[in-house]
Amino acid sequence: MNSSIFITRRDFLKLSGFGLGGLALGQFLPPAVAHAARAVGSLDANGDGYIPTMCEMCVWRCGVLAKVREGRVVKLEGNPDHPHSKGRLCARGQSGLLNTYDRDRVLTPLIRAGKRGEGRFRKVSWDEALDYTAEKMLAIRDSYGPEAMIFSSTHNLSQVQFENLLNGFGSPNYGTQRSLCFNAMVTAFQLTYGVEEPARNYENVEFILLVGRNLTEAISTSETGDLMDALARGAKLVYLDPRFTKTAAKADEWIPIRPGTDSAFLLAMIHVIVKEELADCEFVKKYVVGCDDLPNAVEKYTPEWAANLTGVPAATIDRIAREYAAAGKNALVHPGWRTSNFVNSFQTERAIATLNALSGNVLTPNGCLIAESPEASSVPLGKPPQPPYPRISARRLDGVPWKYPLVPLKLGVFQELRDAILTGEPYQAHGWFISRQNPVLSLPDRGRTLQALSKLDFIAVVDILMNDTAWFADVVLPEASYLERLDPLHVVAGKVFIRQPVIETQGEARSALWIYKHLGERLGLGEYFQYADEEDYLRQQLAPLGLSLEELRLRGFVEPEIAREEPEEITFNTPSGKIEVYSETLAQAGFSPWPTWEEPPYPKPGEFYLLTGKVAQHTQFGTQNNLQLHKYEDEPRLWMHTDPAAERGLKTNDLVTVTSPVGSVKVKVLVTEGIRPDCVYLTPGYGHLSKGLRTAYGHGASDSDLHATYTDPVSGGQALSQTFVTVNKA
Amino acid sequence: MKKRYGFVIDVARCIDCRACQVACSVENRVPDNHTRIWVQDLGVQGTFPDLQRVFVPYNCMHCENPPCTEVCVSGATWKDPNTGLVLVDQEACIGCGFCVDACPYNARYLDEQRGVVDKCNGCLQRVEAGLEPACVATCVGGARLFGDLNDPDSAVSTALREARSVVRLDIEDGGVDPDPNIYYLNLPQMDSLDLTAHTGQPLVTQSGTLPRSPKYSPAEVGWKKVLTPLVLAGVGASFLVQAVYFTKQLIDGESEFDE
Repeated sequence: MNSSIFITRRDFLKLSGFGLGGLALGQFLPPAVAHAARAVGSLDANGDGYIPTMCEMCVWRCGVLAKVREGRVVKLEGNPDHPHSKGRLCARGQSGLLNTYDRDRVLTPLIRAGKRGEGRFRKVSWDEALDYTAEKMLAIRDSYGPEAMIFSSTHNLSQVQFENLLNGFGSPNYGTQRSLCFNAMVTAFQLTYGVEEPARNYENVEFILLVGRNLTEAISTSETGDLMDALARGAKLVYLDPRFTKTAAKADEWIPIRPGTDSAFLLAMIHVIVKEELADCEFVKKYVVGCDDLPNAVEKYTPEWAANLTGVPAATIDRIAREYAAAGKNALVHPGWRTSNFVNSFQTERAIATLNALSGNVLTPNGCLIAESPEASSVPLGKPPQPPYPRISARRLDGVPWKYPLVPLKLGVFQELRDAILTGEPYQAHGWFISRQNPVLSLPDRGRTLQALSKLDFIAVVDILMNDTAWFADVVLPEASYLERLDPLHVVAGKVFIRQPVIETQGEARSALWIYKHLGERLGLGEYFQYADEEDYLRQQLAPLGLSLEELRLRGFVEPEIAREEPEEITFNTPSGKIEVYSETLAQAGFSPWPTWEEPPYPKPGEFYLLTGKVAQHTQFGTQNNLQLHKYEDEPRLWMHTDPAAERGLKTNDLVTVTSPVGSVKVKVLVTEGIRPDCVYLTPGYGHLSKGLRTAYGHGASDSDLHATYTDPVSGGQALSQTFVTVNKA
Repeated sequence: MKKRYGFVIDVARCIDCRACQVACSVENRVPDNHTRIWVQDLGVQGTFPDLQRVFVPYNCMHCENPPCTEVCVSGATWKDPNTGLVLVDQEACIGCGFCVDACPYNARYLDEQRGVVDKCNGCLQRVEAGLEPACVATCVGGARLFGDLNDPDSAVSTALREARSVVRLDIEDGGVDPDPNIYYLNLPQMDSLDLTAHTGQPLVTQSGTLPRSPKYSPAEVGWKKVLTPLVLAGVGASFLVQAVYFTKQLIDGESEFDE
């Protein structure tokens, strides 16, 4: 053990004896993390105790209490004070320390030494890595303009400073991966309610319709717990999914709907509700645009019409519509999360938004859907001063807004960005700076993604592991894990939460705040990074609230007292101030102003829908190397229904070849009754190419080898379940 | 009053997310090739689209009459009279593995690296510090409860009192009743979900009057007296072979979806 890390009990007693004086003295003593924790009282003299922080195993951001013993984190607990964890963590959250202690961590900066994809790198100093990165990026800017550099990162707490990097640099090309996930949901709810993602409230819910929202496997800890509480209380759950997931197993009614036809089912529900006048008319007349003409707009969408498309009997649709309406304000159609399924997924989301409007469940006290804008409950945090961004005149490579007029700028169309690298249209990109993203596995059509990477002059990746994209990069910048670093603060429900280190940073890893600042300075963008270090950044955030960082460090959160005025009139953040079931914005952009039916493509005989989905043991593409999650995961196999399997002479664990229009993989098959006979399913996140991931490398197959690129024209979402495949014994 | 710790598991709330398993393995530093806790997936039952699927979490049942302690050669495993937990003193364990075979639930494993037997200890190290066991504290669906069955006001006693039906995974064959201390709520009816299909013997006994008082029958006492020396002599007793066979069927008999 490094003797400088050790602090004796007597030293500690001395420190405590000095009180504040001891605290000030201690700031000169290494190691920083243990000392800070002792100073505020989280750790005892032996370095044992609990340090509150925040999970980063998915984007739900649960509160964590990290148990530390002798400088190592040994266990993570859910923080009971955090509304997202309520004392619990899911399997991924529980396993988080295995990401930090992964034997495959990249702990020094690396510069490529061999050919791209060969995996040969040399260890370099931060100075050399950052000088090299800045030199390459500036050379691209000087030769081709700043727009020739693409920047991508998704949904991290350090996102604000990442955006400073790209906006300060002057590139419009921002890739967020959101089009592979929730573009349809966010775009539809923005247009209809003026909010990105309405919150759900299960307190009084009596009837829940989940449209493919697999809440027991795609877990948001508190929400999944709330759902199970509601079911135990007797709420009814109806679940639409072509696959018998674990959520289906918990549902009162599982409806194995034909893929791509969710909107037909929902439009028919709307038809029944408005025709029979089952809606909350008072609410609808007051707050909804289009209530008078809605009956005409959905006239043709009868349950009989929907039955032909969805394969669900008309009587079932009619009954569910009536049950939904009967639950009134206590009915909820979940908006969904990853809603990138078909090119008509935007219409599915519009229909969901409409059904919720008809039940009047928004804005009532304890309503099931909370369409309040996040600003309403936000806390006015400070931030470091910075100059305005340079004016950017170049068009975005991803087609927003010139090709996709309604896609929000901060969402973008990630798959289109990749294709623009290949086509060189409207101009050629030359470099890509990627932070904690893995487009090699996330984007559809991996073959094209690898081709795109090979066209670039320079690729830099920031990550804690040698992910598949890092494997093909020129520079890998090792980030400190979420248990090793400070991130900008996070506000939930009026409380300010901290992510703080619970152990000393291993190796040469650095926080994103540090990496962006030191790279930014080398790019001549120092004015956008006016903080001395991470702690200074947080102190500047807290300054307007008059709150101390020490209190935040000890409790994990602070709750500033902010006087809020209840708005006198309920308004929505839409052009009309109402819920826009009829959207003039959509009409003006040349799209249907009403929720509408758009025919999806159907597979030919002998072809299957290739479904995607989630498992509770993994998050996207970044956790498959975690030994605890690897230990408790199911073997990744292709689900196939018993009948088509019998026709092909297949039994469970037989090897099959799955072929799509863009590629083919070999994978073991799982024969089950739990999927429609016209579908197969593959869990994403497997089939890693990076040999730097020793646990995950070569394990399972990647659906990105099979997915063809199809984009929803309204929301820009990638249609991940619209690829059709054939399956044969290998 | 002496405690009798046990688990109550609401099967309707288990979503097979495996947070309990990861939490247990991290808390107790369980080797990567072993586990102290399971979620038994009874498989997709029925014909598309009329399907059912049930998840039954379990770990050491901390039995009232634990067959495992009876066969311990070194006295390393015992039922702790103060807590009711079945514990292993790994300093004293010689790793003979008799108890692993004796456990009717396969809830023990031999740690080859350390040469000792390991199993669920009810996270006694946490419970003594005022915390819930790791699996209970983190259960996302709220399926798991842990507490003192002797305390009428504990969460487990309250849940059992209010339950419509309570089921234990019990073995009646062989004349021994281990009297397990995991009580299941909302386990579906056996006629709709045939738990007996793979064993030909009932593994699940329905009882509305649990928990029942621990007591040995004369037959069981006799069994212990006769059986322990037999096992010590390295001769497999027919009951044990049977019991292990049945539970192995329960545990290994079904992979995820095999019908």
